[in-house]
Amino acid sequence: MQKKMAYSFPDEVLEHVFSFIQSVKDRNAVSTVCKSWYEIERWCRRKVFIGNCYAVSPRMVINRFPEVRSIELKGKPHFADFNLVPDGWGGYVLPWIVEMAGAYPWLEEIRLKRMVVTDESLELIAKSFKNFKVLVLFSCEGFSTDGLAAIASGCKSLRELDLRESEVDDLSGHWLTHFPETCTSLVSLNISCLGSDEVSFSALERLVGRCPNLRSLRLNRAVTLDKIANILRSAPQLVDFGTGNYAAELRPDVLSNLVGAFSSCKELKSLSGFWDVVPAYLPALYSVCSRLTSLNLSYATIQSPEIIKLVSHCPSLQHLLVLDYIEDSGLEALASSCKDLQELRVFPSDPFGAELNVSLTEQGLVAVSLGCPKLQSVLYFCRRMTNAALVTIAQNCPNFTRFRLCIIEPKTADYLTLEPLDVGFGAIVEHCKDLKRLSLSGLLTDRVFEYIGTYAKKLEMLSVAFAGDSDLGLHHVLSGCESLRKLEIRDCPFGDKALLANAAKLETMRSLWMSSCTVSFGACKLLGQKMPRLNVEVIDEADPPDSRPESCPVDKLYVYRSVSGPRFDMPPFVWTMDEERKILH
Amino acid sequence: MELQLGLALPTTPFSPFGYELKQGPFHNNGSCSSSSSSSGGSNKRRGGFDEDTRVVPKTLRLLLWNTNQRNGEDDDPNDLDDHSSSAILKNGGEGLVGWPPVKAWRKKLRRHVHNGRANNNRMAAAAAGNNSCGGRAFSNSTYVKVKMEGNAIARKIDLSVHRSFESLTSTLKRMFDISEEQWRKSFKLAYQDREGDWLLAEDVPWRTFIRSLKCIKLVRS
Repeated sequence: MQKKMAYSFPDEVLEHVFSFIQSVKDRNAVSTVCKSWYEIERWCRRKVFIGNCYAVSPRMVINRFPEVRSIELKGKPHFADFNLVPDGWGGYVLPWIVEMAGAYPWLEEIRLKRMVVTDESLELIAKSFKNFKVLVLFSCEGFSTDGLAAIASGCKSLRELDLRESEVDDLSGHWLTHFPETCTSLVSLNISCLGSDEVSFSALERLVGRCPNLRSLRLNRAVTLDKIANILRSAPQLVDFGTGNYAAELRPDVLSNLVGAFSSCKELKSLSGFWDVVPAYLPALYSVCSRLTSLNLSYATIQSPEIIKLVSHCPSLQHLLVLDYIEDSGLEALASSCKDLQELRVFPSDPFGAELNVSLTEQGLVAVSLGCPKLQSVLYFCRRMTNAALVTIAQNCPNFTRFRLCIIEPKTADYLTLEPLDVGFGAIVEHCKDLKRLSLSGLLTDRVFEYIGTYAKKLEMLSVAFAGDSDLGLHHVLSGCESLRKLEIRDCPFGDKALLANAAKLETMRSLWMSSCTVSFGACKLLGQKMPRLNVEVIDEADPPDSRPESCPVDKLYVYRSVSGPRFDMPPFVWTMDEERKILH
Repeated sequence: MELQLGLALPTTPFSPFGYELKQGPFHNNGSCSSSSSSSGGSNKRRGGFDEDTRVVPKTLRLLLWNTNQRNGEDDDPNDLDDHSSSAILKNGGEGLVGWPPVKAWRKKLRRHVHNGRANNNRMAAAAAGNNSCGGRAFSNSTYVKVKMEGNAIARKIDLSVHRSFESLTSTLKRMFDISEEQWRKSFKLAYQDREGDWLLAEDVPWRTFIRSLKCIKLVRS
């Protein structure tokens, strides 16, 4: 019966059916049904997502999927965002571009995150892919405006150039002039990360003016307030806008011009930027506010009253990023005005200050959890917390998918009971059954990990710092969290026992990061030896780890599964625990 | 090299700066204190590190480091981050690497905004000046930008050939055609670090300077 079915569908029909299956997970599932499906699927796979660029080699990807049009690659581990990964660790995209230049002449999209991109790579992209459309460089580094000039001039049908949060060597603002007059295809341009060196504004204006499909434009800090009105008027179709500087001496003509410009943008739903805000100019946004679904004020040093005024004009708000200047009072106002809120991120205005500079406490988050029934994603920096507050929040928001709490002072206890916050976080994982991402902070014992191992069955990413008492904590997580893909730990007393006992688990995960813990060099070596499909990398900028006794803890450990073996581009301060590679080293 | 068990680091109440050590329950594996991921370590790679201290038991190194700190010989306080999970010491500024977990990018921008809050004009100017370095683009490159105050043209200098402030400043003097007297009278060496802050090079040891600098400016004093 089955045989008949296989022959009754010609490949083209199956291919057509598969073309409706876009999600990577589903595609992977399709390819495992049978050999012929595997074959058909691999020939028609157009989009590839590689969560760790070292998990597989470019050649392997190309061999399996010969007709890819879109690729997404991630490089450095997440903790690289916080300077925990030394410069030069890796994540170079050039080898990928080189291989793809030959194999995928019709490649259209490249999306990179935390990778090192050089001007050479950008030039190669511009030269090799005639139909190139989308370049997203998220938190990347290593390139300059020269590389951008190459992209601008070389990619004739460029639709998206998004440099969000990347570090760019700003050699000249004139790279924008390299977009030819014939370029009218831009849909999205995000240059918000560029330095304040002069960006050729006239070139920018002309570019914006000739791209009628431009939907998303995020300017950098160099663009001054007075220039915003002109830009908006030439692009009233914008859906997402990032201002540059939002500060200038208050002048009624500039203000009214701005008011007019914003009100001409009937599609505008998302605003960001707002460096250096002069509050008197905020009312210019009011015409847009009623439609606004996303607002990023996380660079704006405006105080709570001004934030409240703005936010109370935004009943449709779904995403808010803001500094802790919003304070508890602002969050209470948010809770009563924005019933559709799904995501809230509150960043610290003075992360390194020892003193409290704002009145933002656990109360603010409790208020939002109570007032915003659709709240799903939280990132919250504060200085105090209680178990009671966390329990309340958990009960109010059982739909959380992401909960990241950062109590600024490590090992801070419940300030009322002086107990650890185990019970509070336990409530979060118990009530929020769909929780995918969790970041812990505060005083925590092994108990919190017991709760996590017991309840957090859908948890995919866990970040831990200054927590736990013993290996038991790590063991609970590794043995209990069935969906765990990424685990990153710093400054916890977790060592060899839990790691080695759960070695097999590591092959089911993308990666494990442990720094300033108590995993010994000997254990790392053992793990490397026993698990050939794991790359076990020890990072130590001081000495080779074998210059010390094997029982000495390693500084940083990064373990990830890979089908391509240890990498060849390790810098001198990274040691692989793979036996074979060590011999060749 | 024989490591001695010596003073067990985590349980000894010990206040290098008069701060209280917060001691968590903490496993000490084997004969090696967790300070092996050492504060002094990275300097060895840079060369010129005092070989003798390697013979000293690990725990004593902590004491040495502490007393030398004022002399500017050793690392900056930030290196404390890497050793001892049980000792969380603050330095009134940034005591721990990567904590709180705020993206470097965000920290850099926040600094500009925070410092200039009172005066918008000054902020804009600061932003324009401070961000002119961009990033240190190439991980493998040892070249950094050097600007002289009052001079629009930026130069690039190869740091790898220098091992001290003396050699660096003599090259800079040559590059910008500044006489010894002019230098002593009216110039100071400033640099922008990874966090975006501008600092005076004379305030920090060479190793700190080299490791955290992104670009250099010759400012008129």
